[in-house]
Amino acid sequence: MRFADILGLALSALWQQKARTLLTTLGVIFGSLVLTASLSINSGVQETIERESRRSTQLRRVQVRPGGGGHPSDIADQVEVKGNMSDARRERIRNALVRQKLNFNPGGPRIALTRERLRQLAEIAHVDSVIPSIYLNGFAVFGQRSQRADIMANDPDDDSLPGRIVAGRYFETPHQSAAIVSEFWLYRAGMTDDAAMSAIVGKKIKLEFHVERRLVGVGIFLYKPDGVGTTRDEFSALDKIKKQLPEMLDRFALTGVEKAALKDAFRATPPKAADVFSEEVTVAGVFRMPSDKEQQGRRSSWESMHSDIILPLRMAEDLFFRAPGQGERSLNHATLVVDREENVKEVVKQVREMELDAYAATEWIDRQRLMYLLIFSAMTIVAAVALLVAALGIANTMLMSVLERTREVGIMKAVGAGNGHVQLIFLVEGAIIGLVGGTLGLLLGWAASIPGDRWARDMVQRDMRIELKESLFVFPPWLILAVVSFAVLVTTLAAVYPARRAAKVDPVTALRHE
Amino acid sequence: MNAGLEPELAVRCSDIAKAYGSTAAPVYALRGVSLEVRRGERVALLGKSGSGKSTLLNLLGGIDKPTRGSRQVAGRDLERLSGRELARFRSEAVGMIFQSFNLIPSRTALENVELPMIFAGRPVRQRRAEARYVLEAVGLAQRLHHRPAQLSGGEAQRVAFARALVNHPAILLADEPTGNLDSATAREIMEQLMEHVRARGTTLVLVTHDEDLARSCTDRVLRLKDGQLV
Repeated sequence: MRFADILGLALSALWQQKARTLLTTLGVIFGSLVLTASLSINSGVQETIERESRRSTQLRRVQVRPGGGGHPSDIADQVEVKGNMSDARRERIRNALVRQKLNFNPGGPRIALTRERLRQLAEIAHVDSVIPSIYLNGFAVFGQRSQRADIMANDPDDDSLPGRIVAGRYFETPHQSAAIVSEFWLYRAGMTDDAAMSAIVGKKIKLEFHVERRLVGVGIFLYKPDGVGTTRDEFSALDKIKKQLPEMLDRFALTGVEKAALKDAFRATPPKAADVFSEEVTVAGVFRMPSDKEQQGRRSSWESMHSDIILPLRMAEDLFFRAPGQGERSLNHATLVVDREENVKEVVKQVREMELDAYAATEWIDRQRLMYLLIFSAMTIVAAVALLVAALGIANTMLMSVLERTREVGIMKAVGAGNGHVQLIFLVEGAIIGLVGGTLGLLLGWAASIPGDRWARDMVQRDMRIELKESLFVFPPWLILAVVSFAVLVTTLAAVYPARRAAKVDPVTALRHE
Repeated sequence: MNAGLEPELAVRCSDIAKAYGSTAAPVYALRGVSLEVRRGERVALLGKSGSGKSTLLNLLGGIDKPTRGSRQVAGRDLERLSGRELARFRSEAVGMIFQSFNLIPSRTALENVELPMIFAGRPVRQRRAEARYVLEAVGLAQRLHHRPAQLSGGEAQRVAFARALVNHPAILLADEPTGNLDSATAREIMEQLMEHVRARGTTLVLVTHDEDLARSCTDRVLRLKDGQLV
């Protein structure tokens, strides 16, 4: 018997029971639809995460921060617990003291990001470059004017910044003694006219930093409404007041106890005026703020979106470490650019061996991937269960069909059908339901992915400010094959028992069956 | 395949018994029937209801198995055939006609007649042409695409007749083929059947309880009573 004939007989039998076939197939369609959606979005999201990460050097970057306050065991011996108490309580108090000491470290982090450490980081195998994150808060003085400014180093990977130069030019070398200034900062500094803004290009400005060398002691701050920063004169005045405080203490209306308390404190940490350090640079250009679209696409670095003045990277680094006291202190953050993605883990390991904190985007991506994998695996299991439930329906329906078609099976056997033929006809009926249901489920899944993708991309754009170019749903050939094959497999397996029952039908009994 | 059956014999049954029910309390439909039918011979099996006629016919047609005894039909020892060989035997060696026609209701006359050829693995065009030819030969040229419910009793039996003949079987087994038909139609059907049998020299085993029909259409009349030939 030819397969085409078996197929014809199976199709004919299904066609005879249109409503039942349709209802049975609906279960398979639903299961396949969910399976398709789940596999499709899982692949799509995984690909999107990887693709978006590869758009920049993000996947090759390792973020390095100073090492924490150390391990509790390092300082446990330095902690003394006074008093007569039980051993258990002494242990609890000791642990609390150790944690307190680890959390507060006035001398800065135990493992600082010094210039020497940056050099050591640069020497790690596979590290292409070290980008220190330089942030300096100070004043820019030009002529008679001065204006508070957030000063940062440029990020060499920020390819949007050169395009945002509206007057003058971008840096030519990373060591150049130059600065580019924000048009908004110029506006705040009183340069409201286009002509004045252009005129500053090529002029010298003095960058002045008031450096606090200690993290403990007295501080006096002035917070003004609407985010208006303290002026240079206000800052200078407050600094002087701070220095005079111990001498002026008797003039304040304080109780004796209060005065004594402050005197003790000032004796331990005498108020000291900030060190003033300055550097003169040439204004190379003026840059504009990024547009909404540039911010959404994350084409601009954080530095270039929040800086008033941007300095060339190496010049800024040199300035940072030349400032009084900075050589002993630590950078908050540096970025290592690794030559290839597969070496990132090794670099992270080596940085951690230096007892610095290291974090790679790949780790975040791996976690995200795992999270989505778990979510979509759960969806896949639900889909598989839906298909299995549909399979039970098919088995039940086909068993009823065998009963109804007992006489027909008997006739077929009487005119030459073998047990194998009968079994095959029922198995093919199951397979057809799977094939049709799986294919329709797949097509519906694909159709549903069109509005689904639009909705998901809108949500990503709104919540994450990432404009995705490609679809979040993908339909690779393996997915199409997997969904249809799984549906066919499940429904064919569901037909095995009914098919065996049909094959066992005794023709003599069947021919008497009404 | 030929199990020592003399070339002139179409059927040889030896000590055939068929019991139904449990082995502890069997009910015998046939009790040791031995039978020989020559090639081209037309034999009638006469007997009352429950005498075992149809059981014997089913055993000869290979759709049932005896409890005891051996069957050699159309050169084959049915007891030695595998399930697949037995199916091929039913498809090619014998044609069966039933009192209740036994047509598949969902299939047209043409498709019903095609069925044995489908299981014999014949190509679509060939079997379609053959089925059409046989149906036209039995006078159903206008009823090819009608389903059994749209046919009269006589027409349905002629479709069954066409289905039995279409693979050119050596032996035709007819179980009360006119039992459900009026006398005029019955006569017409039998005339057609006999015409074919005579023309092709087909061996015929006809089960009936109509003595006149048995005598007029066959060469030999065998009588069954309580599962035994008398």
